[in-house]
Amino acid sequence: MNGPQFFDRITVQTPLRNIYRRLGYKKGVTRLEAGRRDELETWIRDAGLLMHLKGVARRFPVTARDSSRTLLPEDVVFESRDLASFLDGCGEIALIAATAGEDIINAIEQTAAANQLTRGVVFDAVASETVDAALDWITAYLRQALRRENKAPRRGRFSAGYGDFTLENQKRIFELLELQRIGVRINESFILIPEKSVTAVVGIREKP
Amino acid sequence: MLRKRILVLDGATGTELQKRGMPGGVCPELWCLENPSVIQDVQQEYRAAGSDVVYTCTFGGNRFKLAEFNARNVLEVNRDLARVSRKALGPKTLIAGDIGPTGQFVKPFGSLDFEEAVDVFKEQARGLIEGGVDLIVIETMMDIQEARAALIAVKEISDLFTIVTMTFEKDGRTLNGTDPRTALITLQALGADAVGSNCSTGPADMISFVKAMKPCATVPLVAKPNAGLPRLVGGKTTFDMDAREFASYAGRFAAAGVNLVGGCCGTTPLHIRELKERIGGARAIPPIRSSIGALSSARKVLVLEEKGPLAIIGEGINPTGKKALQEELLQGKTSLVRRMAREQEESGADLLDVNVGVPAIDEVKTMRDVISLLAVATDLPLVIDSARPEAVEAALRIYPGRALVNSIPGEKDKMETLLPLAAKYGAMFILLPLAEGEIPETAEKRIKIIQAIYRRARSFGFTKEDLLVDGIVMTAASNPQAPAETLKTIEWVSKTFKGAPLIGLSNVSFGMPERRWLNAAFLAMAAAKGLRAAIANPTREELMAVKLATDVLGQRDRDALNYIARFSGPSGQKEPGGPAAEPSPTESVYQAILDGNRDDINDFVDAAVAAGKTAPALVQDTMIPAIIRVGDLFGRKEYFLPQLIASAETMKKAMEHLEPRLRAARAGGKRKGPILLATVQGDIHDIGKSIVALMLRNHGFQVVDLGKDVSAGAILKAVRRHKAPVVGLSALMTTTMVRMPEVIRLAEEKGLRCRFILGGAVVTKPFADSLGAAFARDGVEAVRMIERML
Repeated sequence: MNGPQFFDRITVQTPLRNIYRRLGYKKGVTRLEAGRRDELETWIRDAGLLMHLKGVARRFPVTARDSSRTLLPEDVVFESRDLASFLDGCGEIALIAATAGEDIINAIEQTAAANQLTRGVVFDAVASETVDAALDWITAYLRQALRRENKAPRRGRFSAGYGDFTLENQKRIFELLELQRIGVRINESFILIPEKSVTAVVGIREKP
Repeated sequence: MLRKRILVLDGATGTELQKRGMPGGVCPELWCLENPSVIQDVQQEYRAAGSDVVYTCTFGGNRFKLAEFNARNVLEVNRDLARVSRKALGPKTLIAGDIGPTGQFVKPFGSLDFEEAVDVFKEQARGLIEGGVDLIVIETMMDIQEARAALIAVKEISDLFTIVTMTFEKDGRTLNGTDPRTALITLQALGADAVGSNCSTGPADMISFVKAMKPCATVPLVAKPNAGLPRLVGGKTTFDMDAREFASYAGRFAAAGVNLVGGCCGTTPLHIRELKERIGGARAIPPIRSSIGALSSARKVLVLEEKGPLAIIGEGINPTGKKALQEELLQGKTSLVRRMAREQEESGADLLDVNVGVPAIDEVKTMRDVISLLAVATDLPLVIDSARPEAVEAALRIYPGRALVNSIPGEKDKMETLLPLAAKYGAMFILLPLAEGEIPETAEKRIKIIQAIYRRARSFGFTKEDLLVDGIVMTAASNPQAPAETLKTIEWVSKTFKGAPLIGLSNVSFGMPERRWLNAAFLAMAAAKGLRAAIANPTREELMAVKLATDVLGQRDRDALNYIARFSGPSGQKEPGGPAAEPSPTESVYQAILDGNRDDINDFVDAAVAAGKTAPALVQDTMIPAIIRVGDLFGRKEYFLPQLIASAETMKKAMEHLEPRLRAARAGGKRKGPILLATVQGDIHDIGKSIVALMLRNHGFQVVDLGKDVSAGAILKAVRRHKAPVVGLSALMTTTMVRMPEVIRLAEEKGLRCRFILGGAVVTKPFADSLGAAFARDGVEAVRMIERML
């Protein structure tokens, strides 16, 4: 089993459309004047500068499975029907994770205190969508690496907390990916800190 | 050969090996060494199909990839695999030594040290060269810096023809954001003999990459696309484009100007055979230019066209006279540099000058660090400004783009040191007409020096497109004739020499008051004489405005698009279509809340009070209806979250401003609430709760926010202390929402009579109902619910 591969600096294009959508913008309905839009886009840029995207990925062969469990090497067992169903047909998986870093979280917290909550909610949305885009980036990297082995990542991702794949599994994922090396911690409620940190399971299949 | 026809490369090898029995999970390089006849068979098939060039099976033959399979004899592996190919193909077929990525990103984009990367590629290249390859191909690169390291590695040990192909995603950029034109400008300047793209996309997308590159290419172009992407055909997902369809793109590739074409993943010898047939005798379009005046960063290109806008080089990052910057550089800190880069970029600079010359500093190290930092922090190409050749060299080596060297003067030893450096790294440079000892005061003297330096530069392979000529700007205050001499020089460079003039603008106004007008005027005057670029301060608004104006007047801004984009459209925060008549004070308050106008609200509130409105009446009759209207607009999605919050913050400001009057009016009467808010124990999310707090305060509630990760005990203690009638609990995860029943049960046990309202992404109405608590989806609903509860 290979060790985790770390990405010290992930660069993504700002996912503007997703950010607007997350903030509730509805095209053709929401009225946003030019001056407000400029202010918004300045904040989105500011948020971009506060984020330091890092990530990690690690491949695992699936050693055994049944309808409710997925087994990986070194006694890793993921108990979940929903996950097993998601991974149906995949001989391999990748665990991936990304974080936006602490600076953006500190900035968001400061905005609440300093009467700048408007900026804060924008930062919050930017951070969430950008971390998601970082996972897309890692998946694209995997796709390229897998191509020559005639394999490909399956569409979609599955995270701890979805369906019956309980959040408690986050702890094992944290250990397998050595997330502390990208500056992430996990608390007793299995929440990753800093807040905008996410993990996911990606299925890998052979191409026909 | 390339001038006459389009050369055909080979196709996919991995899948061909698998078809012939290579098992999954093995190292292809080592397996081929153990089973040479198989790879030889594949390569002979490609040759028979029509490939002019066959790649060695050494894609993963670098130190890192081989180490994964415990192989360490990198040189031998590569040499022997090259010999295996030669044995199969004989002396007449061109064999390309294949160098693929290490899988790691190189500094500043990743953790792999640049020089280590260069060593790794040198090791592999040596093996391939010893094995007798005819050329080298560096392929499937997703990191421009890794591609540079590989190219520099090869060029430092051999003269072999070297192809570099990058892999671009569907959005037309590499994972790190490099687009085809940017990659081309960087790599062809650095010495690549052919540049292009392979893998990741199919023929159609790759044709567009070739089209994008052709106008700027000084080298032949390469395309090695995949046989299509996954498609749904008749309900079934198929991955491979068949040979006929693949080859049907041949004509379009030829028309786009490709010079070497083949196939990557999903292709077979049949694909290559069909491709070769369809290419037939199509005319090869050689590179349409031999040099280009263009600079690049990792993600952006700037082409310095004669008829293009005047380029502004931001002069800010220069420690001369800037104490704070000097200190920061000496301490190795970076925040000021970052900020200056960003400010200049936002002001419209096209390039950034980088000077780190502080007395007693380790200039080489600092230059390397700052260039690496800026390579990531800004998209603008950089100008390397240093008097020390070692610092220039360090910067040129590490910079993941094509840089501009500021500058190369006419002093013999400087020329002999700097010209070869600029040539090796393919940089552009600013030609500075200074000769031994003195600054030439007349245009005539400058012209002579310019010609001398240019002659010397030509022997290093430079053309006029590779340089900008400094007209030399002296201080008008000490020499009134100086501006005229500069203008004469600029005109000569532009019209007679047919080169690209540049000036360092700010000098002209030194010692005068209100320098900005002199700077702006001189810029316009120089532009009229043909100025191509200026080193100036882009944060001066009037300077950039004049620059845009001169572009329009000099026909360098077609249809005045840039000018119009900059200056037309609504400015400031004024909302269009306001009431025709002057609004009353209360109308202004209402509108300000609707607009989220935090800046003016207190003035409007004061005006309303001065006009006779009491504070409580203003709140009840004007402000609360305004914020309710905002809530409605939000509910209908005509406002989205930032507007909702901006209005709420405006309301908050107004409420705080009115608080003394409101308190006086209350005089003993009770305020609504207090409402207690807390994020439960173990949970750290609180922005939603902050929004609820804000909205409640807008509606006149007193709110006590206990923060996040609050234990049940602490919550109940606060309930008792504040005698809170309502408690709002927030949780965002399944693991923490279980705390909510805990808190509610504990409150019951203790006989507390507060009511609960729950919120958070995982919380649902049924969940709240089961606990006898209220539920709200968002801040607006929370206010409604709490009003009802009381």
